[in-house]
This record gives sequence, C-alpha cells and structure tokens, in this order.
Amino acid sequence: MRTLKLTPYVFVTPAMLLLIAFGVLPLVVALAVSFTDMDISGLANWGNVGFAGLENYERLFTDPDFWQAFGNTFFFAVIGVPAIVGASLAVALLLARSDSRFYRALRSFYFIPAITGIVAISLVWAYLYNTQFGLFNWLLSLVGVPPVQWLSDPLIAKFSVAFVAIWRGTGLNIIIFLAALQGVPKEYTEAAALDGASTWRTTRSIVIPLLRFAIFFVTVTTIISWLQFFDEPFVLTDGGPLGATTSMSIFLYKEGFRLNQFGYASAGSVVLFVIIALITALQLRLRRPDVEY
Amino acid sequence: MKSYAKAALAAATVAALGLAVSGCASDGGQAADDGPLTVWIMGDSGTNFEQLVAPWVEESGTEVEVVAVPWDGIDERLTTAVASGSGPDVLQVGLSKLRTFADAGALLALDDQLAEHPGLAAENFAAGIGGEASAVAGEIVSIPWVSDTRVLFTRTDVLAENGIDAPPTTWEQLRADAKTLAARGEGQYGYYIPQWDSPLPVVMTWSNGGDIIDSDGNVDFDTPEFNEAVDLYTGLYADGSVPTNSDFDQAQGFISGVAPMLISGPYLAKTIADSAPELEGEWQVTTVPEGSASATSLFAGSNLAVWHNSTQVDASLDLIEFLSEPETQLEWYAINGELPTAVEALENEEFLSDPLVAVYSEQLADARILPLVPNWDGGVGAELLTALNSIVLNGEDRDAALDSLYAKTEGISIN
Repeated sequence: MRTLKLTPYVFVTPAMLLLIAFGVLPLVVALAVSFTDMDISGLANWGNVGFAGLENYERLFTDPDFWQAFGNTFFFAVIGVPAIVGASLAVALLLARSDSRFYRALRSFYFIPAITGIVAISLVWAYLYNTQFGLFNWLLSLVGVPPVQWLSDPLIAKFSVAFVAIWRGTGLNIIIFLAALQGVPKEYTEAAALDGASTWRTTRSIVIPLLRFAIFFVTVTTIISWLQFFDEPFVLTDGGPLGATTSMSIFLYKEGFRLNQFGYASAGSVVLFVIIALITALQLRLRRPDVEY
Repeated sequence: MKSYAKAALAAATVAALGLAVSGCASDGGQAADDGPLTVWIMGDSGTNFEQLVAPWVEESGTEVEVVAVPWDGIDERLTTAVASGSGPDVLQVGLSKLRTFADAGALLALDDQLAEHPGLAAENFAAGIGGEASAVAGEIVSIPWVSDTRVLFTRTDVLAENGIDAPPTTWEQLRADAKTLAARGEGQYGYYIPQWDSPLPVVMTWSNGGDIIDSDGNVDFDTPEFNEAVDLYTGLYADGSVPTNSDFDQAQGFISGVAPMLISGPYLAKTIADSAPELEGEWQVTTVPEGSASATSLFAGSNLAVWHNSTQVDASLDLIEFLSEPETQLEWYAINGELPTAVEALENEEFLSDPLVAVYSEQLADARILPLVPNWDGGVGAELLTALNSIVLNGEDRDAALDSLYAKTEGISIN
C-alpha cells in the first residue's frame, strides 16, 4: 500500500499561500472590479457599486489617453530593452577581462545606480536636466549650443526619461552576465586560442552562444520591467509634458488613485497583465532548446 | 521598475479586504465618546496647531490628537480612511478637494447642527466662501478655516529700468509690459505662467465677466469670455513673454529677475523675503490685473469638516467654533502665516497694518472659489491645462484643442 506523500506539499504550502494571497487573489479581485463602476463612494458603501459589464473595456479602447500611454510604453520598450541588454552585456564582457583591483572597483561602480534610491536619483537628474541651471545645458552653452528642453519637449523628454532608466537598469544585469561568464568553461576559450581565433572571434562564436540562457533571462525580465515602466517618469515628469512620458502604469495609477476610478483602472491593469503574459509566453515558446556542448 | 501594476492590484485587494473588515467593525467598533478628538491638519503645521488649540484643550478638558497629513499624501490617506471606515473627527480639507471628499461620503452634513453653533454662521466669514457657497449638493459640509488668494508680484526695479513706472493694472497692460521686458534679451522673460496652474485660465475668464459654469450648473468653456482668456493665455506665449520649459522655478525666476512679473500666493512673498532679503523694497504685490470686467482673483484655502461617522460631533463643532473665532484665526496667522477667513479678523486694523496683508485682504474681497466640480485637479482642471498647453507648447490647432476640451468636459455638473 502506498502512503500519501505529504512532505512535498508541506514544503510548498507557505510559498503557495503567499503567492495566492498576494499574487492570484489581487488578480482575481482586479478582474472582478474591472466589471464594475467602483469609485471612492463605492469604497465607502458597497451599495454604490454597480455592475458595468464590459463598459470599462469599451471605454478603454476608445480612450485616446490609453492609446497614448500604450504607444509610449512600446516606444520605451523598443528603446530600452535593446539598450539595456546590449549595454550590460558589453560592459560585462569588458569587466570580465581582468580580475584586478581596478576592475573589481569598476564592478561596484556600475552597480551603484541599481542600489541608489529613486528619489535621490530623480533629484540629481532633475538638476542635470534643468533647462536653466542644469549641467547638461551649461556644458552645451560652453560650445555655443542653445539650451535643450530635456524634460519639457515632448519628444526629448521621452529619451531623457528612458536614458535614466537605462542607466539605472544596467547595473543588476551586468552582475547577472558576469555571473554567467564565470560559467563559461576555460577549455573552450583555450582551445579556440590554440586554433588561432582572435579575441573578438572567440567572444562572438563561443562566449556569447554559451551566454544564451543568461541573455534570454535578462531579455525577458527587462521586457517585463519596461512594460511596467513607472518610477522614472513618475518622479521626473509625472507623465508630462502633455502625457508624452505617461506609460501604461502611470496611466493606471492616475486613473485609479488620482481620479478614484477603481473599476476603470482595474480594467486597464487586466489589459496590461494580459499583454505582459502574452509577450512572455511568446518568448518562452520561441526560445530554441539549449544545445548541449 | 518594480511591479506597480501588481501593487495596484494589491492595493485594490487591501481596499476590498478593508471593506469586508470595516463592514464588521463600523457597527460597534467606534472609539468611546470621551476619547481624544483626532484632527487631521494638512501640511507640516501640526506642531503649530497643537500650540493653537492648547487653550481650548485646557478649557474644555477634551484632549486633541493632531495628525499632520502631507499635502501630496491626501488622496491615499482619504482612500484608506474611507475604505476602512475609520477617519479622524475633524479634518482640514483644501477647497479643491472638498467635492471629492464630500462625494466619497466622508464628510458629515452640518445643516442641522449649525443652529446650535452661531459662531459658524456663513455671514461670519468672507463673502463667497461660507455656507451655500461651499455647499456640496445642497448640503453644508464644511466651515471656512484659512484663506489664500492670488496676487500680482512685480519686480519694481526691473520694471523701472525698462521704463515701466507702475505694475500693470489690466491684462492688456500686463501683456504689453511683458513683451517689453522679454525684449531685454535671450533667456529673459516678462511674465511666468506655471504649467500646472489650472485656476489661472479660470481667473482670466472671471476677469472678463464670464464663468466656466453655465446657468444650469454644467461646465461650459464654450463662451466668448473664455475665448478671450484663451487669447490672452496663448498671446503671452506667442509674444515670447513666457518661459516654455516646465522646470522653470518661479521663485528663482523672480529673484533673479528673469521673470519679473507673476501671479502667485502669499507663500511666494515669504519665500522671497526668506531667500532674498536684499531685494527688500525692490518688489511689490498688487491685486491681479483687470480684464474687460473685473479684477477678480482666486479664493483658495482650506475648510474644516467633521468626519461622517465621528462619535464626537458636538465636541468637534465646539472645536471648530473656537477655531472660527477671529482671535484664534489672527493667532494662527501670527504663528503659521495662514490668512484668516473670519470677516472680523480680516478687518482687524493691526492685521491690516502690514502692507502685504492689506493687498491680500483687498484681493480676498474680490475673489471666488473654483467651481466645486467633481475632482477638479485630476479631471476638468487637467483637461483645461492639456488643451491650453498643447496649443502653446506643441503648436496644436487652437480650434481642435478647444473642441476637444468642450467635448471632454461637456455635461460635468457641479450639482
């Protein structure tokens, strides 16, 4: 007679409970709320909450502000994801070339932006970008370039905000790539050197293919974080000027917490969740199985 | 870039759970009647407020617990308090938030209690603020507390250097003077329009004798007076008189003389006096310029209200009555710098002896509160700014931008 194996379930229960309480349940609640017209008077009294059917979704898809936020989010992702993956991979490859004290110091240097508080970052960058007193415009004025409206021009503001996020986002990914580089067996690079391959050739044909899993992981997490882009525009521009840096998350935050339209914001968050889930699923599907070396 | 979408979902759940819990708690879970009165004061003036109410605490024997709520945390604080059902007893509500708070059912209707508290009658307060003027849906939910208005700040030295003897008294003059001042050179401006200042276009409309609310109580921007205001607003930009960068610092711009004219509140006078004492005598405040009809300005400020399920309504109203006394309000001006709302305090001679205060007081006599539309800051006000700023900053077509504003705000009612 087989005994029921309880042990695995006991180990899995705490994590499951937390996941259900803070992951699955909020999602279900948001899904339910998205079919209602819940606002702040509904919070005070359930009686004021009415069933709205698909109304929130219909409104969402005809709301120009939503489409602007949608477009901005993809603009940010298209700029940000390749920039972060490319820059952190390049920096990691360079940092891995030596283990000297200087290089070790550089590693911590690149990690600093990732561990600095966003409020401090926003203060410093807001000063750097300031049109009248900012460092960038002062440097430009030295070579006779007129002041640039870093955070006030709708198009330039997009790049300014994205740049801060790229600067801040590379640190952690550099660490991930450096760790993955430790796992590249020395035998392969030595064999390549014996065959007379150049450093560039070795990197391109041996090291990068072996980093494939790390690159995949960094790409997936970076795409998700850019689709949920929030901190930098929130602290630097509050979604402005004229909505030019309003990402989907900022749009949802404003609808939910400034306009108190919880039903509408929930509908938006469900849409964002579905988009992220679809894109992530697509990436997992497209990923080719690992080749064994 | 953490998972804010998830955070939003989590907040929704917490709110939902809070609802469930409050459903059980609100029946019997209220604090005992003799507990301290909880008062929410906005901003960082909590300590000053404790000092202000100390005499009342001694006299009445009721403890007062002051909670200072930061201005930018008000919305979140309100949402959690409404969701959990446990709020303060007395709270300060900014006029621009009054409608939102009342709509949420957070404020107690005071109509029935007012008879027992003669000190709270509308006629004790500046015109256009007490009683019906700040009633929401026909119910009086708040009592005037501190007032705030907008006046014209000018750098008299900069104006004089450019041949302008006196601050402009009409918008037409202001526009011409601003153009003269902007012609001083690259990076110099004549006037400053804060890109977040949604009351400004409304003030301009008022000064032309118009309103943004029609006779049925609906928001209506499609009027000749508003169109005149738009001409003025866009004209100032078209003249190159106004900085176009959103990070322009008004205090810095005024002190450095880059923007020697602007409309702001009394807090700017304090900032200038504190950070540039050497400018003493080189700047002055005057009432806002006149349009084609009047020199009306904005009446901002805060009211006091009683939380909807407070168990100490009488004590709360006693406290509010104490705070409405002219002496208390003058004391508050002395320790915290906020202007009174009580008529007697506003007419106090000692108070008026300060030349700045005399101007504020004169302006308060011709000032109006923003119409109490639902969620001005996030809704109508935001749409108004988007429309105007898209014209002046992005070169959007004026008619298209205004049509979109009319369409978006149509049918929003103050009732």
